[in-house]
Amino acid sequence: MRPTKAEEAIVWLAACSGLDYRACVAQLRAVRDPALLPQLRRPECAEQLQAFLRSLKEENLFFVTLASDDYPAALKAISDPPLVLYGAGNRALLKKRKFCIVGSRIIPPWAEKLTKRVSEEISAHFAVVTGLAEGGDCAAISGALESGNLICVLPCGLSECYPAAHATLKMRVRERGLLLSEYLPHEPAAKFSFHARNRLLAGLSEGVLIASAAEKSGTLITANRALEYGRDVFAFPHNVGAAQGEGCNALIQKGAFLATNAEDILSSYGLECKPKERPSLSEQETKVLSVLRDGGSLHAAEVAAKAGLRVFEATAVLSSLEIKNLAVKSGGNMYSAV
Amino acid sequence: MIAKIVCYTLNGLEGVPVEVETDVNKGIPGYEMVGLPDTAVKESKERVRSALKNSGLLFPMNKITVNFAPADIKKEGAVFDLAIAISLLKASEQLVGGEVKDIVFLGELALNGDVRPINGILPILISAKGHGFTRFVIPAGNASEARFLGGAEIYPARTLNEVVRHLLGVAPISPLETATFVPGTAASGSSDLKFIKGQPIARRALEIAVAGGHNMLMAGPPGTGKTMLARCLPTIMPDLTFEEALEITKIHSVAGVLGEEGIVSERPFRTPHHTATTVSMCGGGNRIVHPGEISLAHGGVLFLDELPEYKRSTLEALRQPLEDGKITVSRAGGTFTYPARFMLCASMNPCPCGNYGSADRTCTCTPAEIRRYRRKISGPLLDRIDLQVEVDNISYDDLTSPEEREDSATVKERVNAARHIQNVRFEGSGIHTNAEMGEREIAAYCTLTKEGDKILREAFERMKLSARARARIIKVARTIADLDGQENILPAHVLEAVSYRIYDKIG
Repeated sequence: MRPTKAEEAIVWLAACSGLDYRACVAQLRAVRDPALLPQLRRPECAEQLQAFLRSLKEENLFFVTLASDDYPAALKAISDPPLVLYGAGNRALLKKRKFCIVGSRIIPPWAEKLTKRVSEEISAHFAVVTGLAEGGDCAAISGALESGNLICVLPCGLSECYPAAHATLKMRVRERGLLLSEYLPHEPAAKFSFHARNRLLAGLSEGVLIASAAEKSGTLITANRALEYGRDVFAFPHNVGAAQGEGCNALIQKGAFLATNAEDILSSYGLECKPKERPSLSEQETKVLSVLRDGGSLHAAEVAAKAGLRVFEATAVLSSLEIKNLAVKSGGNMYSAV
Repeated sequence: MIAKIVCYTLNGLEGVPVEVETDVNKGIPGYEMVGLPDTAVKESKERVRSALKNSGLLFPMNKITVNFAPADIKKEGAVFDLAIAISLLKASEQLVGGEVKDIVFLGELALNGDVRPINGILPILISAKGHGFTRFVIPAGNASEARFLGGAEIYPARTLNEVVRHLLGVAPISPLETATFVPGTAASGSSDLKFIKGQPIARRALEIAVAGGHNMLMAGPPGTGKTMLARCLPTIMPDLTFEEALEITKIHSVAGVLGEEGIVSERPFRTPHHTATTVSMCGGGNRIVHPGEISLAHGGVLFLDELPEYKRSTLEALRQPLEDGKITVSRAGGTFTYPARFMLCASMNPCPCGNYGSADRTCTCTPAEIRRYRRKISGPLLDRIDLQVEVDNISYDDLTSPEEREDSATVKERVNAARHIQNVRFEGSGIHTNAEMGEREIAAYCTLTKEGDKILREAFERMKLSARARARIIKVARTIADLDGQENILPAHVLEAVSYRIYDKIG
């Protein structure tokens, strides 16, 4: 679809004019309709704009501006919405309901697995909004990628990739879901852009799930922004003393919703979770699973002792439970139920 | 007069006959050596001169020409000293009546006339016997190594004079008695599984690895006993057969690392430091190609402690020998093939700080750091490591199950039983262990039950295992079934095999 004059004007202002955000906003306020911006009548500006639009087209990127129909309404409501969002992938996702799932880069294995599962179930109703980092973000992506209901917001331009190791992942998100960024395509990530990106995560979404966060985690910025914007905040409860969960527990203490599965989240939006098919378990598996549920995080040898199995028999059963997504192995041969 | 004496030089593990021809002629006294001798061989001139003089023999004051035939191969080292001395004596008619035909003389000479031991005596003797030679004069220092060669008369000599008197029939040296091979009884003693506390998972992995000839990787925080576990590997490996022992001894003999007892009776356990170069690992050298660590580990274990610290190129060089069981090294001086069928056992920390997954300390590494650390080991190499286990530092004081107190001998019995099943299975097919199976053998011997196949499919989907991992898992499952004494691979075997691929899951 061809951009309207107003959209073009905003893109020119944001991308080509060289003005900062405040100045751009001031310029827009000064005119009744962005299309009436006086600078645009200058031929060199029109040329600049056409060149920029061509470069976007070459890289197969699209843009939405404050004047576009599909600019996310929720984002418009925040105090500093980006004038332009650049996107790559499935544009239709912008109109869907959105829910944000984020977690710190270092995340306990059980939380990683749980995040993946929750993300998968949430993606049946919402577009899952997240970043592109390791740990929590990655888990959310791997859960929602299958359905394609996935929006990743980058802290850098869309032609860049941060972290660079996730270039393949980024490509797959682009193929199935949507990549968004408020930065020009070739702008690298800067220190401040992570904070700014987190405001978009919160601003785009109806609610935010914090999968894991240490006491001073960047993930908490997203949570604080969500509170500021009046979005729901959910958090997984973590063990006392686990560094990667202190932030989550503190959020719950302050009044965030405690979530242990997708149902907790979906029900607060009046949605229903698809009934899960219970995997059939053998006698041994049932026994080992109950040992795991009783014991929290257990070493394989402890599991074996409590279930009355030999250690290598227990590891076989545990790995079967792992395949069925009922148990998870963390470092040092420790297992826990999910 | 011309004298011809047979000696041997080494080409890889093969002995090559060299004829030492000496001509003593009238003329201006001189000493000429021809036939591509290297410096060490040329220097034998002085050693032979002094040794003769100090043995009360005469160094002829004539024009002497020594020729080594065939002339086109390089002659290296001091192995020719004794042969040159004897040929000189024969040519200068100091050995009248002494028969030297068809005797192979091997040995280096000291200035006082002593015969010094040389490297590589066993491979030379074996080759020479194959060429039809049955009488040898060797340095007494090599006697312990040479006595394992049956069907030959071997005369160990301490001095040049002894050799002369033997040849003249004045004081014959009694030939060596052939020794019978007794496999080492794990005399090292200090390593035994019974000394290892806990670690049931790693123990089990060791057992499976040895039973099926699989390579293994242990990951765990520092101080969890990875090295100690690895040192137990030779104690649970099957005893060496005489043929294996001879082959290993040949390699060690060529490399000059043979111990006192003269034959390698225990499986080698090599632990090259992580600063090792590719050449020291694979073999190489300027002109003679020495066997590298992987060849010295032939028939035994190559233990690489702190795997990610090794140079990438060194590790990558292991890939081909891991597959072929031999290494071919090409140098200007020739191309040499050494056997290198070893079991690779590697250990590494789970992350740069070492505490990832530790029970009592927290890991301070970022995911990117951990990823970088693990990426030092390439996928193709990791792919050749069938068993990957975590070694942890949980205290086992209150957990004592029976399998934690077993000693090496008990485990070895089970390993032997599993190996026996494999020997019967692979009889005449040129492979010995499950790990060596190719696609054809997997199809023939590794039939999965319907249920087992379903499990494997599920595991593939959920864990995103690579297609290459499939064959590895099936092979390990085959070994577990063998240990279990089962004809068919059961679902439990597959599941256990899946649990030993931790690095596929981490991806």
